[in-house]
Amino acid sequence: MPSNLFAFKNIFALALTLWFGYVAWGALRFPYLAKMLPLSVGTCLFVLGIVNLVQQVVITSRNTEKDGGGFADLSTDWKIPIELVWRRFFIYFAMILLLYGLIWLIGYPLTMTLFIFTFYRFFAGASWRASVIAGLAGLSFLALTSHLLSMQWPEGLVVLPWPLG
Amino acid sequence: MDVFFQALVTLLAPSHLLMLMSGVLLGLSIGILPGLGGIVGMTILLPVIYGMEVHSAFALLIGMVAVIPTSDTFPSVMMGIPGSSASQATIMDGYPLAKKGEAARALGAAFTASLIGGLIGATVLMLIIPIARPVVLAFGSPELFMLALLGMSMVGVLSGNRPIRGILAAGLGLTLGALGDAPAVPVYRYTFGIDYLMDGIPLVIVGLGLFAFPEIIDLLIKGRSISETTTLGRGWLDGVKDALRHKFIILRCSIIGVVVGFLPGLGGSVVDWIAYGHIIQTSKDREKFGFGDIRGVLAPESANNAKEGGGLIPTFLFGIPGSGSMAVFLGGLLILGIQPGPSMLTEHLDLVYTAIWSLALANVFGAGLSILLSKPITRLTVIPFNLMAPFIILIITFAAYQATQSWGDLIALLVMGALGWLMKQYSWPRPAALIGFVLAGNLESYLFISVQRYGWEWFGRPGVIILAMITIVSVVLSALYQKKIKQASLSTGGAHAK
Repeated sequence: MPSNLFAFKNIFALALTLWFGYVAWGALRFPYLAKMLPLSVGTCLFVLGIVNLVQQVVITSRNTEKDGGGFADLSTDWKIPIELVWRRFFIYFAMILLLYGLIWLIGYPLTMTLFIFTFYRFFAGASWRASVIAGLAGLSFLALTSHLLSMQWPEGLVVLPWPLG
Repeated sequence: MDVFFQALVTLLAPSHLLMLMSGVLLGLSIGILPGLGGIVGMTILLPVIYGMEVHSAFALLIGMVAVIPTSDTFPSVMMGIPGSSASQATIMDGYPLAKKGEAARALGAAFTASLIGGLIGATVLMLIIPIARPVVLAFGSPELFMLALLGMSMVGVLSGNRPIRGILAAGLGLTLGALGDAPAVPVYRYTFGIDYLMDGIPLVIVGLGLFAFPEIIDLLIKGRSISETTTLGRGWLDGVKDALRHKFIILRCSIIGVVVGFLPGLGGSVVDWIAYGHIIQTSKDREKFGFGDIRGVLAPESANNAKEGGGLIPTFLFGIPGSGSMAVFLGGLLILGIQPGPSMLTEHLDLVYTAIWSLALANVFGAGLSILLSKPITRLTVIPFNLMAPFIILIITFAAYQATQSWGDLIALLVMGALGWLMKQYSWPRPAALIGFVLAGNLESYLFISVQRYGWEWFGRPGVIILAMITIVSVVLSALYQKKIKQASLSTGGAHAK
């Protein structure tokens, strides 16, 4: 058994294949007109997904795959170890989750103002003054667009006066 | 012809012109930001166009998308980083020119080529409308279904370097598009009991999740600080003269751009490489390519602006987007209450002409502003991404929340974002998924109408049989052609340029 059978990309391909299978299986209980497309498409894709998975596993085990970027995408050319990429991905993902938590608590405008300020000061190493200006610029942008284009933002548990909440 | 000029008069009204200019300025800004291109730009604008007057919305959307391939040249030439996927090939010769102190010449040539390319794209679109009219009007639902299928199959085979993965990505988009309420029957599909999914995932969320989120995360992970910057130098006029001297190169590559734009699935990320490969193959003296040959700048830049005109042809006439950004544009049309397809040539001909004029004028404004504002724009390109990231996150989450103005939007953005990031890492073509997502509704409606009206006899209609044959032939041919593109790209160093 190839050691990299459980490589993330194979797990990702498997997950998509299972999703296609679920689409086909789930379509069985729909009325005729609603199941035509998902059933036929899901079945075809499930089969293709298995073919792709087998191909991918074979290629991975032979380690001959050279499909870095693909023409349809800006390719990601990592110059840092892949473990670091994953670690940083989870850090930034967690950062966004934290952001969501704060939005839930104190509302969108105040959270984003604090976020911009904190990011500038502690991630980007900007000066206190620049960080405060950046935070206020973000808040002004939100206030202006919501006023001009009547856009809404998520309100928090703590009710604050406009434009903070 | 009256309608054609009437559209120009409408567009020149101050309110429309203001929208066009706003679109152009936004497009120029998005083009400069590495990684963000037409898809993200279009998606950010979707919440803004709700309830907007249709001509104004057209001016805004097309003004924006038309000039991204103009300004994305700045980071390509100045820093060797593509501003969007359409200008990756420009780096090959543009960046060496900048390092030699001839950035202004490269940019001058690029903007002139972009301008001419964009105008040629608009002209072809204008010429094709009267020719296509009788053909398009002969299409019924069964033919449109087959055409959508043809588009999907080409998307699958052409986007990405492994056809099977391209088809699966397009299929993934299709299945995501099938979430929520089914057309024609009162059934909610694959909602997992979540109320948010009953109306399906909004296009804004899918567009921003699949495209904007992964780019931001990747740029943050890279933690790129710009170390090497170049100065503009001199030679604007030399660049313009270069472009005029090589006018036939620009003409040829513009036509390539239109054709590539027209074909579903190819679009932005490959048009520049095809034009670049073409110019190398057809040049006798090739030794300077890769070291600052101005022809290597002219070819991709004319092609990538011309592709928007080409991309609008199938979008308007058949409701089949030629590229990812056209897929979002198609979604925008539906928001504005316009059903693309044959009715564009009967009920909404004025809008088609508004689009053509917007495209032409935006290219003129875009090229002009890029030259006039080149100094401040060049300064913009050296702002570290860390300083832009929080603002981009703000714009994206704010735009996403406008989709249904519920928490579901933000959560769905995160889920789609993670999916997009994984797709990007493992080379699953995201544009194919986006096109599949947008086409899902149309595909199912056409199928439903065909079956309701003709039973399963619609399979026997001559148009359907012909289109089925074209689909099979095109899949085979495009698979072969794709190998050629890959070879051309590899031989010209495309695989190494990041």
